[in-house]
Amino acid sequence: MPESNYNEIMQLLCNRLENISNTDVAITPDLSLIDQLSIDSIKLLNLIMEIEDTFDISVPINALADVQTVRDLADLIHRIKSESS
Amino acid sequence: MSSTITKLNAPLTQAFDSQPSSDLQISITPTINVQTQRLADFDTLIEALEYAAKGTTGYNFHDARGKLRSVLPYRLLRQNARLLAKRLSGFSLARGSRVAIIADTSPEFIELFFACRYAGLVPFAMPVPVNLGSHAMYVQQLRAMLNSGQASIALANLDYVNFLEEAARETENIKWVGTPDQLSKLPAVDAKPQINHPDETAYLQFTSGSTRAPRGVVITERALMSNIQGIVCNGLEIQPGDRAASWLPFYHDMGLVGLVLAPMVAQLSVDYLATRDFAIRPLQWLRLISRNRCTIAFSQPFGLKLCTMRVRESDLKDLDLSCWRAAGIGAEMIRPDTLKSFAEKFASVGFNDRAFLPCYGLAETTLAVTFSKINHGLKSIRVDAKTLVDKKMAVRVQADGRKFNEFVNCGQPLPGHTVKIVNETGKELPGMMVGSVLVHGSSVMSGYFNNPEETSKALKPGNWLDTGDIGFLFEGDLYITGRRTDVIIVNGRNIRAQDIEEIAEQQPEVRSREASAFGINDADGTTKIVLVIESRLSATTERQTLISRLQKMVYMAFGVNCLVELVPPHTLPRTSSGKLSRFAARQGFIQRTNITDPLPAVESRDR
Repeated sequence: MPESNYNEIMQLLCNRLENISNTDVAITPDLSLIDQLSIDSIKLLNLIMEIEDTFDISVPINALADVQTVRDLADLIHRIKSESS
Repeated sequence: MSSTITKLNAPLTQAFDSQPSSDLQISITPTINVQTQRLADFDTLIEALEYAAKGTTGYNFHDARGKLRSVLPYRLLRQNARLLAKRLSGFSLARGSRVAIIADTSPEFIELFFACRYAGLVPFAMPVPVNLGSHAMYVQQLRAMLNSGQASIALANLDYVNFLEEAARETENIKWVGTPDQLSKLPAVDAKPQINHPDETAYLQFTSGSTRAPRGVVITERALMSNIQGIVCNGLEIQPGDRAASWLPFYHDMGLVGLVLAPMVAQLSVDYLATRDFAIRPLQWLRLISRNRCTIAFSQPFGLKLCTMRVRESDLKDLDLSCWRAAGIGAEMIRPDTLKSFAEKFASVGFNDRAFLPCYGLAETTLAVTFSKINHGLKSIRVDAKTLVDKKMAVRVQADGRKFNEFVNCGQPLPGHTVKIVNETGKELPGMMVGSVLVHGSSVMSGYFNNPEETSKALKPGNWLDTGDIGFLFEGDLYITGRRTDVIIVNGRNIRAQDIEEIAEQQPEVRSREASAFGINDADGTTKIVLVIESRLSATTERQTLISRLQKMVYMAFGVNCLVELVPPHTLPRTSSGKLSRFAARQGFIQRTNITDPLPAVESRDR
């Protein structure tokens, strides 16, 4: 997958996170989803559903155990997307 | 193993993205069986499976988009489990040795579970990771379970086996770690299937996600079959034509006993949706029930809440829930409002609120203790809030305007079981008096595995189990008014207060016995975790750093946000023995923050 697609994923992800996190913090790749954005379990479910619908992928539950930052999540989506295409 | 099942080891994405439906040669197992139904009158699980295998019913696994992914008829389960048992026998383990299995919602887990019983081994289910960034905590949790259960063998599907290998590195008893696929490639030993005795241990059930000292409940074949018979014959009044649907995790007692083992023992077909898939798209569960005309489906109140919250009005048009006759509700405090909102939302698509079936149970009693009357729906009573706290007595509210608490009728004990309410000194209380709920009967656990200390705390003289829950009896029916203070239930998950406190005490700024964790109920019925810490830190930045770090660590361990309050030393109330009292800490917090607590807990002794 070309670089532009990765940037596209990151951009989309940041937009979504801005909407659901209701904080004034600017979303950057190194931001922690856990303590800086306080994504609780319900928000996480919504986020995963949107990601799956937007990118037409399935996010395996075991992979989330290694996701802490916005970048980790973008990398994961990019990886799944590349593997499935 | 059959090809439909090995497909599951392929990455999830392939399982439903690149598989046209014409490729699927499989169809669901029928609801109506070809054999005569036997209602759980078996001595052991294997005896029950040998009978069920002569019919055509079985387990069906559906993917996140609702497509049938694989089918495991009881006939095939028996065949595969026997084959795997021969492979397990190759390890020459002592009879009763433990086998740990990560229990994702898959046919492999069930095959391995029964393979253990055919080989005379004792399986136990371990959870899948559910939280963002939980890798390290999850491995620690697995390791604690492997040690506590002294597992000789540990198995997991491809998605989880790397966590398991990491966890097994620092354990003492483990001889082999691998996937079901790897196990099936080991040489078969031509050992005869073991005959199981009713007094033998059938499996261990771990009770909560404790990270330090998880406790494995020992359940014998006799206790299991007794509980299942009660559920099947008395609780649910199972009959031909019944079919179950479930998203409950296989590593929880309600998921495993209630929706995996009990249906097989009554030869019913079951439709499964993975817990994760339900949580993301709860509509799929309702669609399964509607499409396959399921009659039995259980949930925690939280599951119903997810359905009410996340199913859109536009999704309703394809649903017909009129087939659903037993909507079992258990595993956490039941609030009438949660059930009422669900019934309102789904009444238009045929959901009958008489299907609501509140029940009460816990892992220490295999699963169920009481069931309300089938087909009677939710019954509750309103009791005076002040008398409840002041006199620990439930008095029905007569006049309007009095502040009241509403409690759900959880029904009467299953045959062979007795419930009594006792006060602090262990004296039995009359009806309407609030106290500790004790249970006696044929499905009470033998104890916690290899843990006489915890066992003696839970099992009182005469084999009365102290459930740790608080409630009262009225006309023989049980009403739960509060769960124990050492367990906080958030979104249907049990979290031990002690585990949260230990995370705090691991911080250099926090001394031991200076942290107290408890749950606070919001007016809308959600529970929030509060962690109060005695702190000598004065600099604002230091205080904020500690608070943020604690919130992050609690999230990584349990996937929940928590409120951290720093208070001056000697603020937290202690008991005469110097122990922190979580109940008093909670009362203090409520006073300081001036919130109104919608559900005043009556103090239970921390167990």
